[in-house]
Amino acid sequence: MSTLAIPGQLLGSAAKFQPGPGTHIHESNLYSSLLGSVVITQPAKAPGPTKRLNKIINTTTTPAELPTISVSRSGVSEKQRETLPEVGNIVLCRVIRITPGQAVVAILICGDTVLDAEWQGLIRAQDVRATEKDRVKIYESFRPGDIVRAEVISLGDQANYYLSTARNELGVIIASSEAGNAMYPVNWKEYRDPETGLSEPRKVAKPY
Amino acid sequence: MADRRRINGPAGATLPPVYLNEDAQPSDDSKISRTRAANAIRKLYLKTGVTPSASGSAYLEIEAPGGGAVSGLKLSCTVHGPRSLPRSTPFSPHIILSTHVKYAPFATKQRHGYLRDPMERDLGTHLEAALRGAIIADRWPKSGVDVIISIIEGDQDRQTSKSQELGSWETMNALAGCITVASAALADAGIDCVDTIAGGVAALVKDAGDNNSPRIVIDPIPLEHEKILSACCVAYLPTRDEVTNLWFKGDLPASDMELYTQLVETGIQAAKSANLVLVECLHETMG
Repeated sequence: MSTLAIPGQLLGSAAKFQPGPGTHIHESNLYSSLLGSVVITQPAKAPGPTKRLNKIINTTTTPAELPTISVSRSGVSEKQRETLPEVGNIVLCRVIRITPGQAVVAILICGDTVLDAEWQGLIRAQDVRATEKDRVKIYESFRPGDIVRAEVISLGDQANYYLSTARNELGVIIASSEAGNAMYPVNWKEYRDPETGLSEPRKVAKPY
Repeated sequence: MADRRRINGPAGATLPPVYLNEDAQPSDDSKISRTRAANAIRKLYLKTGVTPSASGSAYLEIEAPGGGAVSGLKLSCTVHGPRSLPRSTPFSPHIILSTHVKYAPFATKQRHGYLRDPMERDLGTHLEAALRGAIIADRWPKSGVDVIISIIEGDQDRQTSKSQELGSWETMNALAGCITVASAALADAGIDCVDTIAGGVAALVKDAGDNNSPRIVIDPIPLEHEKILSACCVAYLPTRDEVTNLWFKGDLPASDMELYTQLVETGIQAAKSANLVLVECLHETMG
């Protein structure tokens, strides 16, 4: 089922649906805020009671049994709608320049979408890895030109998003050596050049 | 402000040649009479997605009444963004909206320069106020959106006479068109809005010939009436029943509050009519 929604169109009561992307709430009713098609997603079945809770989860805030209603832009235009990096997103970025305190990167891909606009990010030395933070040296973790997988931790200041690579699966995924050859990862902190055999230090992302 | 960097055309009015044996030329004092009902707007043509390079775009055309004696209004709107802000801008938790309205040099009889004149700035400010009430700005932190409108053909009479003091009323119609076309372009760009916003104009006019009392009409054309006493441009959100921008111009007795409310009400009627076209256009985009 796909019905068209235009901005300001009434979609339903906020008591019956949860608001998804492309909608907004006004006076306890859900309205569309985009031009697109209405998508209703039924909630995923809650995992059975066999799973032991090892975290305290506040179950009262969001009643999970409500279906989510959202307005998607798919089908309206072939153009991808511009997306913005949000806190918690995994992004791919290229290192532009490094200083002793931080690495400046350009965010290229956010989630699954290639970004149109150029967004700048910053990986500070204390966000490079989770352990031994005070011994991190930026030039032993990143080099300009590397492709890095990172997580957005803050919207940051006026110019930069703040990113972190403090997880095993985050870090440099594509690097080239000083000789200009593509390198392969050998362990969590080294990349090796297949032609010269020299290894260079990096904050290596664990392969999936 | 003099524009020293470009070669500008001659200042002053330019006129297309008028040939004597042309039949369409009204012979007398170039007045045409209003054939529409007092509560009807002119026919609109609206289309989205006309500029491929922009994030969103729309084109609006209002028909020319009176058999070519008056030119219609032609607007092209492009929306660029959301895009990153320049480095010098301070942190903003919401989207920064900037609007530009520019008359093409050839849009009206009086040539417009390449620099924005005060009237164009005025239109831009009014448009920004109108759109700010419609977009959900906090969905897009740290980004900016530019709404750029080119007025390709201004709503103006093509006759030789009567051009000086008529000019100011056309900006009201132009603003109403700008609001409607910008709303369509924003929807095309996929920027979150609480509603489809549309503009409408109502005016208190005095008709030629009869000496009856002034009446209120929708979508006034200065050439169709003896005199326009005052006009009011409204930007209106139909679902929310909210007015986001209001612009009065002209002489109204300050004591008569009834007249003010009546003008706004009539302006809202005009905006509702324009909104029907807008909704229809957006439905077409999908189909």
